[in-house]
Amino acid sequence: MANPLCHPPLAELLGDRYTESPFERSFYQRDLAVVPHSLARLIGQTLPDAVARPRTAEEVAAIMRYAGERKLAVTPRAAGSTTFWNAVPLHGGLLLDLNGLAGLAALDTDHLTADVWAGTRWADLERALRRRGFAVLAYPTSAPAATVAGWFCMEGHGIGSLKYGGMAGHVAGLEAVLADGHIAQIAAATPDAPTVAELAGSEGTLAVITRIRLRLRPAPAAVGHHLLRFRDMATLQAAALDLSTARPTPYYLHFADDACGRLLTQAGFPPPADGALLAITYDGAAAEVAAGAATVERAAAQTAGEELPAAAAARAWDERFLALHLKRAGPSVLGTEAWLSVSQLAAYTANVARLARRQNLPIATYGMVVAPGMATVMSLFGCDDARPLAYLLALSLTGRLYEIAFRHGGRPYGIGVWNTPYLGRAFAAEELTAQRRRKQAFDPANLLNPGKRYAPPALLWPPTFRLGMAALAGIRRIGRRWLR
Amino acid sequence: MTTPAPFGGLAQETRICAHCGYCLAGCPIYQAVGWESASPRGRMAIAAALVHGNALSAEAAQRLYECTLCGHCRTVCPTRIDTLATWLEARQRLADQSALDRLPLGRLRDNLCAAHNITGEPAENRLLWQEELSLAPALLNARPGAQVVYFVGCVAALYGQGHAIARAAVEIFHRADLDFTTLGSAEWCCGFPLLGLGLPEEAAAVARHNLAAVRALAGQAVVTTCPSCFHMWRDVYPALLGGPIGVEVMHAGELLARLIAEGRIAFRPLPGRVTYHDPCDLGRNSGVYDAPRAVLQAIPGLELVEMADHRKHARCCGGGGNLEAINPDLAGELARQRLVQAVETGATLLVTPCQQCKRTLATAARRERVRLRVLDLTETVVQALA
Repeated sequence: MANPLCHPPLAELLGDRYTESPFERSFYQRDLAVVPHSLARLIGQTLPDAVARPRTAEEVAAIMRYAGERKLAVTPRAAGSTTFWNAVPLHGGLLLDLNGLAGLAALDTDHLTADVWAGTRWADLERALRRRGFAVLAYPTSAPAATVAGWFCMEGHGIGSLKYGGMAGHVAGLEAVLADGHIAQIAAATPDAPTVAELAGSEGTLAVITRIRLRLRPAPAAVGHHLLRFRDMATLQAAALDLSTARPTPYYLHFADDACGRLLTQAGFPPPADGALLAITYDGAAAEVAAGAATVERAAAQTAGEELPAAAAARAWDERFLALHLKRAGPSVLGTEAWLSVSQLAAYTANVARLARRQNLPIATYGMVVAPGMATVMSLFGCDDARPLAYLLALSLTGRLYEIAFRHGGRPYGIGVWNTPYLGRAFAAEELTAQRRRKQAFDPANLLNPGKRYAPPALLWPPTFRLGMAALAGIRRIGRRWLR
Repeated sequence: MTTPAPFGGLAQETRICAHCGYCLAGCPIYQAVGWESASPRGRMAIAAALVHGNALSAEAAQRLYECTLCGHCRTVCPTRIDTLATWLEARQRLADQSALDRLPLGRLRDNLCAAHNITGEPAENRLLWQEELSLAPALLNARPGAQVVYFVGCVAALYGQGHAIARAAVEIFHRADLDFTTLGSAEWCCGFPLLGLGLPEEAAAVARHNLAAVRALAGQAVVTTCPSCFHMWRDVYPALLGGPIGVEVMHAGELLARLIAEGRIAFRPLPGRVTYHDPCDLGRNSGVYDAPRAVLQAIPGLELVEMADHRKHARCCGGGGNLEAINPDLAGELARQRLVQAVETGATLLVTPCQQCKRTLATAARRERVRLRVLDLTETVVQALA
């Protein structure tokens, strides 16, 4: 006989879109990050008590009211396509799988906006819009998986952000279910609800977003791709800075160091060319694209960049969603994503390269210029999670990479769980206080995505964390000397 | 066809999987079921448990078989995992754990191993489709020296809905003056369902039999109207048998395009709006997209309109991977979803070069009371012959 349900009203509400099956629940305990079970257990209860798949804001609201009455933790989740455990439960409770809340709800061609359900994947949205002659302003490099609300709940900087700004600025309004179960229609500033700006990057801790009104653009009439090769990251940095501030503004400005190319080759996917690469795409009117080509030519001449053939440039664009090719160099990868000034890129990669040499471990660095003078930078290295001790020791290198980023004025991009030890360094004290006050105001019972964003779990308290990372680094160093 | 990385075995590939979720959007099973366990990345997690020799629960094993092997996940995987090879190895390990008898798959295995077809009918029933033909059986069945052997396939031979496809094919071949024959009752299932059950050795035995039968007739080419048979003959038989098989393999869509180009068949106008369904084993898994479309475009008056998802992103009809045997309702739901896309085009005719796709989509159209004719490519061509 089946076990009696813990939450029969939710089963009644959602029917077969609700489960307490241990088998089904077990698939919601992770994101891209590979975390040994022994470590995961120390962090929190990652197995949700139930999974619900609402299809309307009203269903979400009913679930939130039910959760509020019983003080149940609620973790909103869609693709689960980050590495920070933003959408992994730490306190069991209810997991809201929002993938079914998907699709283009309305298109306003006069005002160039689209009402989009929260769980719509960016690639699907862009395809649907392009068929109608429109396009989104920006989208993430994980567009085939990432959802509209998911990216908004992260910081929302990606392809197109340099030209059009971060996603927060693309949201003309949204619908969200607050912790008390109230459905709020939120414009720029709405009483008794967080603002659009406050919800951006809040990682599902302030409300469950159900629908977003996105600003659009007409589908660009023309597109032009370029790929420049540089002898080193210093000249690449100069060109990236030049191009990011010149007119026209590139739609896409992606860089990769030569270590990235080597690691890709090791993974079986040689890049279009070796060396430090800068991929640039302009789109818009034909004249803008032509002007972009002239700008690239000028920038290349000034920085001794070599413009590679058009086919290589087109390939770099076609592969903009395929950074995970690197995983074949693993089978696991570990790494960091930092928000960093472009002016620090060469110094940052030089320090990373130094660390890589000392560790005798290839570390690939790549990223995108996403705002004037600012970039999101990934540094990744291969490892093997089937060797738990070695894997745990390799984790210490992520701490070293973040230290390099901090040294160059950077900070972690995205917090979730794993970057909570850096909260005090990633945000100014007053900003952090404001964030915590906001959480207290809009979710006083701490129902929404508890354990994320505002304070680290016990194991990740900065002093403990620093001690742990130092110990792991020490053991790794001794182990490597011993092996030599 | 997107080229996957060389398959490194279940242990390696399940660890390569990044759990990124790129596979969620296009997976018809996940779209219909909705639980993570039914997604390709969920199946990867289940398959990983097999690596350690763990016996799977019935629900976990069921999820591994609830997949049409449509290959969409393979085309979008950013780590280039050969997911089809992964699912097949996982199923092989499951079959070794006697999962087929715990799941409703034992009967299909028994039919295939004993009667050498999917329905379990006697071999002579493979000739029932010929009853209304005027061609002499002696010409049609196992005629030595014929240049081309038409490999009919189980669905066209043994399902009433499929008979018209085989009849249309031979009528076209006859009108084009093609020197052809069939294996008659000596034909066995191509082995695709055996492979899908996780029984590659049994599939290899079938491959040996069928190839020997073609060689006995000295056939130089094999043509199929079934994309799965085509994929088996062209791509899988050489792998199962350890080398080239020495006969040319064509799908009827390719052969028809060739016959049109050579002027051996001509058409009268057939006015209408048609949409084309890419069978997974012909399109995504074999890379044949253009030839069947060229055939349709050669028919005067026929306007071809594409569905929202087509070519390598075409949605599966639900007919593959033995899904019907393990979860017929889910297979029906996939067909219904694909039908919705066909209806959205405004076409009055849905054409597919696959007997199984035709069967599942025509059944869905009847169930949904949709006024959309579903025909195989050969049936469409035969209607348009001048």
